[in-house]
Amino acid sequence: MNNALEANSLSINRSGKPVLNDISFTVPAGEIYALLGGNGAGKSTTLLTFLGFLEAASGSVSVQGEQVNKNVKKAREAIAYLPEAATLYGHMSAYENLRYFLDLANAKASDSELNEALDSVALQTAARSQHMVTYSKGMRQKTAIALAILRDSPILLLDEPTSGLDPLAIDEFNRLARKLADQGRTILMVTHDVYGACQVADRIGLLRRGKLVGAFDRTEGEIDTETVHRAFAERAST
Amino acid sequence: MKQWQTIFIDEWRLWRRSYLAVSALVLFTLLLLATSIFTGLRMTEEQHAREHQQQEAEETFLSQPDRHPHRMVHYGHYAFRTPPPLAMVDPGVDAVTGQSIFLEGHRQNSAMFADERAAANTGGFGSLTPAKVYQLLIPLLLIAIGHGVVVRERESHTLTQLLSQGVSGTQIVAGKWVALASVALISLLPLVIASLSASTAGDSLSISLALVATYALYLLVWVSLIVLISTTTQTRGVALGLLVLFWITTAMITPRIGVASANATHPAPGKIETELRMYADKRELGDGHNASDPAFEAFRTNVLAQYNVDTIEELPVNFRGMVAQKNEADLTELMNQYAEEKMMQELHQSNHLRSFGWLSPTLATASASQSLASTGLQTHHRFLRETETLRLNFVQGLNQVHIDKLSYSDDINRNNDEESSRRVRVSSENWKVLEDFEFAPDQAAERWQAARYPLLMLLIWFVAFTVSGMYCAARIKP
Repeated sequence: MNNALEANSLSINRSGKPVLNDISFTVPAGEIYALLGGNGAGKSTTLLTFLGFLEAASGSVSVQGEQVNKNVKKAREAIAYLPEAATLYGHMSAYENLRYFLDLANAKASDSELNEALDSVALQTAARSQHMVTYSKGMRQKTAIALAILRDSPILLLDEPTSGLDPLAIDEFNRLARKLADQGRTILMVTHDVYGACQVADRIGLLRRGKLVGAFDRTEGEIDTETVHRAFAERAST
Repeated sequence: MKQWQTIFIDEWRLWRRSYLAVSALVLFTLLLLATSIFTGLRMTEEQHAREHQQQEAEETFLSQPDRHPHRMVHYGHYAFRTPPPLAMVDPGVDAVTGQSIFLEGHRQNSAMFADERAAANTGGFGSLTPAKVYQLLIPLLLIAIGHGVVVRERESHTLTQLLSQGVSGTQIVAGKWVALASVALISLLPLVIASLSASTAGDSLSISLALVATYALYLLVWVSLIVLISTTTQTRGVALGLLVLFWITTAMITPRIGVASANATHPAPGKIETELRMYADKRELGDGHNASDPAFEAFRTNVLAQYNVDTIEELPVNFRGMVAQKNEADLTELMNQYAEEKMMQELHQSNHLRSFGWLSPTLATASASQSLASTGLQTHHRFLRETETLRLNFVQGLNQVHIDKLSYSDDINRNNDEESSRRVRVSSENWKVLEDFEFAPDQAAERWQAARYPLLMLLIWFVAFTVSGMYCAARIKP
């Protein structure tokens, strides 16, 4: 199976301090990989490195087999990124935000496709035409997820995707993520939601202070909530 | 649609929906319209008034009754500097140098009636003209609505979202630049209207358009700087602080430092000191009213020899008139030396100040604007020279009448009785020695020549900021 994402002996320094230290992992196409870790473990840094926003001190990252630092544009075109704090424009409605970012990404979507994506994240119909400045954090997160879906990118990088969502919406999101992976999309999500990760991920990596301290593979029967939670508590919590 | 176009449209959408941006745009539009209309009306009125006053002054001079020609030398005449049509945009030095001059024998007077001295309570602040609004206030509008164009995206993390869509930094910054540039160019609309109306009033169309292009370039310098700062800073507060600091430094402080430096480098001798020196020099030339002044001894000998007579009474011409004419010529030569010295010194100061355009795009623009509008110091100097020629010609013309049409004996006995006094009156027809005076604006080629150097400065400012902006845009990080 081809690897959609690959980190090889990756080390990253930020402000002169090591943030990632010699980590390696791969995410095969069509799989969900969850990076679990506490605050400051280096989870978001890993995602930003795949987007080419950070340069590796050593090692490399590849997207669809091509090193990111050699073709950042191609890597970004292949990726839909959902940041931790859903960063959309308050002066626009959900529809306008989606249209704007899709235009920038040269992606096309009809009105019905927009509504379908917003339906899939359960954003209230009445809210869709309102300026997002009035949205709650959860509503902004839902719109951002809808954007990631609509981008139709083969790879999704999700930074704390369920942060701010209510329990029902979290379940809905997990089902959606599974559905997308089943359709062939590759998802790399970073989270500290052990339960959610165990629900949807094919592989889980435990990150602690920039080092990969554990790995679990569903095909090997290694992913169950109790096992992962214990490992997280023992090895990954700060 | 290209990505920068999408970003450009969104920037306008944001401004349309922002109370701050809309309020700022409305406020500055009203300010621009008000200053353009008021300055336009004022300068048009000034132009007509000065043309009328010039005509009236000439009529008054010509309508004087028969009298001794030297009384007309002292009666004097006024010359008015008619403002060029583009003065409705930039009145330049007009407001401080004075707009009319009293011309009389034996003296070179200063220009009078400067607006800024005539106003009751200016407190050191000049009136607001379209040129000043464009030079000082429109950059503030651009700073107010533009300082956050890029850094706002960074602060709210939407920059990450934009970049992760595969949009390059260059496309993002280009879209923002074009959006802000469009605000700058729209703000030029009143200037375009004023310049075109100036060209219909007689100014060169190419010069009028060049003036618009100068201000467009100046505002684009600000646009490039604002986008550069917004691209390279981390917070809106820092971006705003840096831009306001740059504005204060270049638009307010540097011109004053430039003036102080020009005064220190090319110090002007004091007015009293100069006048005392000139007065001493003048005394050496003798008193033209007194033909027996020893200063004219050699002149008398030469004239007697030239006419081959022994006494001035035997001369076929009026010796007193000849003395007056010679004395006027000598005085004029002396006064011109002082005047040229003063103008040269003012020009040195002006050039020194202009070189501060390398430190302040506002100064470079002000210099180019005055040159193109024909309202700069050099134009004022030309006015002084032309009025001096007018003065000398009519004074010497009257002196010639004195020489040719009055007998020496009548002249020296003019105060004996009423009849003697009547005999030295010449016909008022002789007052036609006064030439018509009409001050024309500089030719287009001269204006280009004068504006070339500050325009080069402005172009270099633009290239420096734009290239730096492009460099930073290509390397932009969230």
